[in-house]
Amino acid sequence: MHTHSLRYVGKPARRVDAADKVSGRGKYIADYTLPGMLHARCLRSTVPHGRIVRLDVTPALQVPGVRAVITSADFCDHGNYGFPVKDKYMLAYQKVRYVGEAIAAVAADTPEAALAGVRAIICEIEPLPAIFDPRQALDPNAPQVGPDRTDGKHPNLLAEHQYVKKGDAEAALANCDVIVEAHFEVGHQEHAYIEPEGVLAVPTPEGGIVVYAPNQSPFINQGNLAMVLGLPTNRVRVIQPYVGGSFGGKDDIVYESSAQCAKLALITGRPVRMLFSREESMVASYKRNTLSMDVRIGATRDGQLRACVFRGLMDSGAYASETPFTVWRASIHAMGCYRYDACDVDIYGVYTNNGYTGAFRGFGNPEVCFAIEQAIDEMAEKLGMDPIDFRLKNCLRLGDETVHGQKLSESVGLVECLTLARQLSDWDRKRAEYARQTSTEVRRGIGVAAMYHGMSLGAEGADYAAATITILPDNTVEITSGLTDYGTGSRTVFTLIAAEELGIEPSRVRMLRPDTNTALESGPTVASRSTVLGGNAMRIAARNLRQTLDLAAAHLLNCDPRQLIRHNGSYIGPSEEEVPWEKVVEHAREMGLILSAHGRWEAPKIHWDHHAGRGTPYMAYHFGVQIAEVEVDLLTGLTRVLKIWAVHDVGKVIFPEGAYGQLYGGIAQGLGYALTEQVTYANGYLQQTNFDTYLIPTAMDVPEIEARLIEASYSEGPYGAKNIAEPAMVPTAPAIANAIAHATGRRIRRLPMNPERVLLGEALQRPTTPEVTTRALFMGRA
Amino acid sequence: MEISLVLNGKPITVEAPAHITLLELLREYLELTGTKEGCDIGECGACAVIMDGMLVNSCLVLAPQAHGSTITTIEGLCNADGSLSDLQENFITYGAVQCGICIPGMIVAAEALLAKHPTPTREEIRQALIGNLCRCTGYQQIVDAIEATAYARRHLAESVARA
Repeated sequence: MHTHSLRYVGKPARRVDAADKVSGRGKYIADYTLPGMLHARCLRSTVPHGRIVRLDVTPALQVPGVRAVITSADFCDHGNYGFPVKDKYMLAYQKVRYVGEAIAAVAADTPEAALAGVRAIICEIEPLPAIFDPRQALDPNAPQVGPDRTDGKHPNLLAEHQYVKKGDAEAALANCDVIVEAHFEVGHQEHAYIEPEGVLAVPTPEGGIVVYAPNQSPFINQGNLAMVLGLPTNRVRVIQPYVGGSFGGKDDIVYESSAQCAKLALITGRPVRMLFSREESMVASYKRNTLSMDVRIGATRDGQLRACVFRGLMDSGAYASETPFTVWRASIHAMGCYRYDACDVDIYGVYTNNGYTGAFRGFGNPEVCFAIEQAIDEMAEKLGMDPIDFRLKNCLRLGDETVHGQKLSESVGLVECLTLARQLSDWDRKRAEYARQTSTEVRRGIGVAAMYHGMSLGAEGADYAAATITILPDNTVEITSGLTDYGTGSRTVFTLIAAEELGIEPSRVRMLRPDTNTALESGPTVASRSTVLGGNAMRIAARNLRQTLDLAAAHLLNCDPRQLIRHNGSYIGPSEEEVPWEKVVEHAREMGLILSAHGRWEAPKIHWDHHAGRGTPYMAYHFGVQIAEVEVDLLTGLTRVLKIWAVHDVGKVIFPEGAYGQLYGGIAQGLGYALTEQVTYANGYLQQTNFDTYLIPTAMDVPEIEARLIEASYSEGPYGAKNIAEPAMVPTAPAIANAIAHATGRRIRRLPMNPERVLLGEALQRPTTPEVTTRALFMGRA
Repeated sequence: MEISLVLNGKPITVEAPAHITLLELLREYLELTGTKEGCDIGECGACAVIMDGMLVNSCLVLAPQAHGSTITTIEGLCNADGSLSDLQENFITYGAVQCGICIPGMIVAAEALLAKHPTPTREEIRQALIGNLCRCTGYQQIVDAIEATAYARRHLAESVARA
């Protein structure tokens, strides 16, 4: 069998769901309405920490239009769920631990009646002492926020410390000529998907439930639902409609809404829909964790990095969600993409009553990259070296061993990223020119940040994906994946791979909606793993199907399958007659062959020793470099980003428009994280509840971006592909920080780098009030 | 109350309460769900429609204010035969769509711009989109798509003028 060059993979392609979206025909959760549908709404906590001493829902049931009200008592085991720590409830049980936590849920004929029902619930909460400063969370007499532990450790410690250890870092630092020591702080970040959360649950005649949920991982939702509703898994179906953005944010919060709507639907026998207002979304949903970091790095006078000591304290808020994994990923990436003789990383998380935190694009890496890439820049400055020269001298290259002990034997494109970014941005000229500025009003600066990002789950968990492929009676091809597309473009990636392997036009391939009834479980859709894990599974599925067609073609052409040549899907046998794909498919049917297949791919086995802090954390790494050029108004402290250059090593590009789109969008999120996005919990009360105070970048804030993709092929990836989604935002904030330092000489070690921090070096205090949050919880239609 | 308006080229009359917004009128009373709700306070632009030639956030317009007006929503921006417009096609070609929730508002805002200003610079396109938040794309490919559409329409107009 002959192979040929790629026809669809890596070529310009149309996003498969774009026509639905540009026409307004695509249905998102808020666009679903069913006859007899009820509207659901939650009563949410207005105190940061307290014991529920009385919860009486009977007055709510007297409200006209209210059909059902539920509490934790309506779920099996009080609705207890959570992974890796089972510390949360679908509705609060006995205690509330953050402002906005759901306590009861009401279903009513109208949204107005549902809100009236919520207001009628009698809920008395006895306030408990709360923790808002993560540094006090592990005090022996600190109030307990986290779940009981049996290992003698403080219950407010989130899971475990995570370490990376190589050699004796303190001793190595003592022998260094130059040391940089600095403290960095990054705060919460709101995902700010433009579509707020929502769920629609429909009870089925046999006592089961169908849930339409814009969640990332429908199978996790299904498992949770079966568990808390006491239903067999086969009675619970989760379907993902179009998702209006997620970025890590539509997991736990949507699972809770799913369970609430499902229970209300089962009780009432009617469809139940819950839609969040923006305010409810902001207050109730989880955020990116904070991270407080102390960094020390040392180098020799000639610019050789020797040692890194990194300490981090993460605020997980009231619940664990996925933050234990974030602690781990942060620890792995804390020292940055460099070689060291010795390294000592120790990061841990704690419970507090500041909302709660969970998955968010980058998963700890944007946080640590903000610190280490500024420290690296400061080191270059102390050594009198150009920041790119210093990075080139110390960065990871092919054949190097990482500080974790992992040999990088392929796909390391960091040097190419640094070199190309330098050239594209006219770095050397601008660095020199801006260093000579004398204006006391406006100055420009240019800064760089480099990064790496481990691909997929790594040693976080079992890493596999599955896909199915079927030729339908009309000879179109239908595919499914257990990994979902919430805007990322993975449906298009999978479509292109299926088309490539079968040799048919992508327009003949149709991917079904993510649906637990039709797709195969593939682990969570997180960690930028879809292209590699789901792509490999799809490729295997398509090849399995193709083998069936090869056999049919060989039978039809009366030859050995090895004598066949495939050409654009059709087959050519020894007679050199070309048989079209459709005819082979038809022949396969006549032979009684089944024209469907599935594929499953498991990532290479890797191991991480959590105690020793050594091993192989990830199968491969994405590398990337961003350069930011800024203009800082020295009179106001306002920073304007003039341009960003981004060069990322993503392995083989499968869907170019999608890959660049991920990069541009990640940079925009990184830019918001850098400059304007601020979450303030004032004694647990969130102060930013809509886009008038939580400022995400507009089209005027995001500059023109010049991006290039380096394709350092990865042998285990489909066609050599790696990952892009999360890494895109990782280096943006530190690149901007380093540019601000270049422009002003001022190091901003806290996010966001708003005008007051740039001008005064500290944030101004705005007056805060609990009412901002509590009012928000009752907003919307009433 | 009865609200009469010209919606996507067709005169219609709809019975609706006086206190609802134009956004609710469109989505819930007229079942035109292409117009999206993102913030309900006029910050995100997902609910943008063109009202008497002006780009407005329909969440900030009371339904009775739309009485007697001419309104274009995303549903009215496809070609007459239901096929995608040149602008919609360019949004696909240039990879301007990710999750897509902001896209109807973006396309409405872009048409409002191009109707008034057929030759915008990239900077002017960005200015015109300032009321439309997108969390996915970083705006770059959206600007690309609008710029390409403006360019193509201009060329078409010039070649028609020459003919």
